[in-house]
Amino acid sequence: IKQGILSPLLVLSGLSDGLSGLSDDSSKEPKFTKCRSPERETFSCHWTDAVHHGSKSLGPIQLFYTRRNIQEWTQEWKECPDYVSAGENSCYFNSSFTSIWIPYCIKLTSNGGTVDEKCFSVDEIVQPDPPIALNWTLLNVSLTGIHADIQVRWEAPPNADIQKGWMVLEYELQYKEVNETKWKMMDPILSTSVPVYSLKVDKEYEVRVRSKQRNSGNYGEFSEVLYVTLPQMNQFTCEEDFYFPWLLIIIFGIFGLTVMLFEGKLEEVNTILAIHDSYKPEFHSDDSWVEFIELDIDEPDEKNEGSDTDRLLSSDHQKSHSNLGVKDGDSGRTSCYEPDILETDFNANDIHEGTSEVAQPQRLKGETDLLCLDQKNQNKSPYHDACPATQQPSVIQAEKNKPQPLPTDGAESTHQAAHIQLSNPSSLANIDFYAQVSDITPAGSVVLSPGQKNKAGMSQCDMHLEMVSLCQENFIMDNAYFCEADAKKCIPVAPHIKVESHIEPSFNQEDIYITTESLTTTAGRPGTTEHIPGSEMPVPDYTSIHIVQSPQGLILNATALPLPDKEFLSSCGYVSTDQLNKIMP
Amino acid sequence: MNIKGSPWKGSLLLLLVSNLLLCQNVAPLPVCPGGAARCQVTLRDLFDRAVVLSHYIHNLSSEMFSEFDKRYTHGRGFITRTINSCHTSSLPTPEDKEQAQQINQKDFLSLIVSILRSWNEPLYHLVTEVRGMQEAPEAILSKAVEIEEQTKRLLEGMELIVSQVHPETKENEIYPVWSGLPSLQMADEESRLSAYYNLLHCLRRDSHKIDNYLKLLKCRIIHNNNC
Repeated sequence: IKQGILSPLLVLSGLSDGLSGLSDDSSKEPKFTKCRSPERETFSCHWTDAVHHGSKSLGPIQLFYTRRNIQEWTQEWKECPDYVSAGENSCYFNSSFTSIWIPYCIKLTSNGGTVDEKCFSVDEIVQPDPPIALNWTLLNVSLTGIHADIQVRWEAPPNADIQKGWMVLEYELQYKEVNETKWKMMDPILSTSVPVYSLKVDKEYEVRVRSKQRNSGNYGEFSEVLYVTLPQMNQFTCEEDFYFPWLLIIIFGIFGLTVMLFEGKLEEVNTILAIHDSYKPEFHSDDSWVEFIELDIDEPDEKNEGSDTDRLLSSDHQKSHSNLGVKDGDSGRTSCYEPDILETDFNANDIHEGTSEVAQPQRLKGETDLLCLDQKNQNKSPYHDACPATQQPSVIQAEKNKPQPLPTDGAESTHQAAHIQLSNPSSLANIDFYAQVSDITPAGSVVLSPGQKNKAGMSQCDMHLEMVSLCQENFIMDNAYFCEADAKKCIPVAPHIKVESHIEPSFNQEDIYITTESLTTTAGRPGTTEHIPGSEMPVPDYTSIHIVQSPQGLILNATALPLPDKEFLSSCGYVSTDQLNKIMP
Repeated sequence: MNIKGSPWKGSLLLLLVSNLLLCQNVAPLPVCPGGAARCQVTLRDLFDRAVVLSHYIHNLSSEMFSEFDKRYTHGRGFITRTINSCHTSSLPTPEDKEQAQQINQKDFLSLIVSILRSWNEPLYHLVTEVRGMQEAPEAILSKAVEIEEQTKRLLEGMELIVSQVHPETKENEIYPVWSGLPSLQMADEESRLSAYYNLLHCLRRDSHKIDNYLKLLKCRIIHNNNC
């Protein structure tokens, strides 16, 4: 029964609505327009008057209300206690009739029939009065005299009991220029004063504020508009302008002088720093295959190509072991970096690095870094196991000094290749080949443009390969690297070191490196690798692609590569880019 | 009063964070020195934090109710079915400003504590039941969990306030018991939804009461009716 108390009433109201519509042509039923509580202590409800054009006249309109008491809806509807205080067509509930957390239902009746009904709780209909006593004060004026900040203050509506904490209000301020149409709104605030920034001095503004109970109810009406006319301070402004530029000129002058004085020194610093820092991105952008190699950069003196060449050509390994000192910077090292390897290996390590921008031959300690995965897998185990007896000198791969492959380097490489240096087996772990350094990281790591692989292991076994084919004339190399074997072909120098295809197993390993340039160059191939399809190019030293922090890097999973032939892996064990491109789509 | 220091420290930290998040115009609150057995926080700060919490809880309750209504019961006339009163209706809570002003401070505080205590169990079951619902509404569940958590904090804070304002108060554990669990587990969907609706409606109402009462008490006790 209780459940159905309101639903039939609602149905009735709908019916009566329809009925009256039939009888009169434009009669409108009285409807509730609004219920409002300004201070959460009283409330009032208003309705429209009935408009009747027809002859039928409605009886007096009555309002009944009910509220749920402690336990249940009271079925009795009580009539409105005050039809007068809130004006016509209204019902006013004073504080004794107003309960906050008890819902109300009211209904409008005419001639005994309900015409409208609604339910609510008082908090939902709270709409505070507008704030009062708006005023503003000037905070400051900008130095240019064009803008000004003001502080606007107001008071809460007097009937809202803020002092006792019965109501907590938030306010919204709006302002605009007098001749504008759209108001600018500020975020709601809880305090009764707020700064307004950057008003133009020459304009007049209007400001208004409205309030709302926090968390419930609606915004009340806006307060009266406050007009803000900022004081025009033309004369004052001129004075400011008059003085100000001088100060600015002096300041800038001093600053400029300071800059010029230090400019020279700065350039020095910049050049030093640029090597490490600023060039790095350039290098990266140039090469899609970038590998970080830790280099030992001790003295700038050591870093010139001439010394490298000399070292290449001379049988004495001039490397200063000091140079070999492993740079202990952390950057650039892979996890398997082992400084010890480099130091011992350096003897046989004739790394000639062609650096494009950085004319600093760096010892590629990092080779062990990069290749350590291979190294450790290949050099140490397969190679050492497979070719334990090899006491072959590591062949120094001729290398270009220029970062970019130069066709003319072929001859040069061959020359350089002529200087084969022997190394100890232990040095096989060394990096005997040249990698092209394209960049140097700030920490001293060297970025190799072509990937470099430690061929030490391979070199060990290289000997075992017969270099059958003739030296290929087409040393058209895009990069500076090509197989030892290829170089050797053209070098009538004993001992022949054969580039062994021991690299094959290494190829299956994860981190074999393929230089970018190797992929693009044509590496000469030894005879044994004549089967290499397509590119009769000198095969570079690298077979694996290793992503080293390069967005363009590729991790070439060797196992994923369809290796057409074992011969595909050249005697050097490297796959050129062309070959690679053929392999991979 | 047996007030455990550690949970109160955590709640104080939480209150501090929520204070920073929610109240833009609250002065920075002192942080309890770590390791102190009992945090000596001023009554003013306790009230400030309590109000922040109660405000937050009420916001969450309102949102949770709105979301529930929107999703499950909107336009189905459930409001007319809320004939079941809230389990806290037996408490003599002031229903308007005059009544709130007439009630004395001590009783007022006890009342608030009773309401908070009485909601411990319903909130726990609410979380459990919503969690076990098929396709549990995440928005509602997360809010329920948060409300349960914060209500515990608020209760601890209130107990601390009572111990400071009325140290002689004997701890009165009497509070209204909620027995609506069976209705939450009813097989009939309409009845079950009605039970949830009622529970969330009551939670919204009671959280609003607590928030309002605390604001009144804060102005009365701390600011001497001159907030």
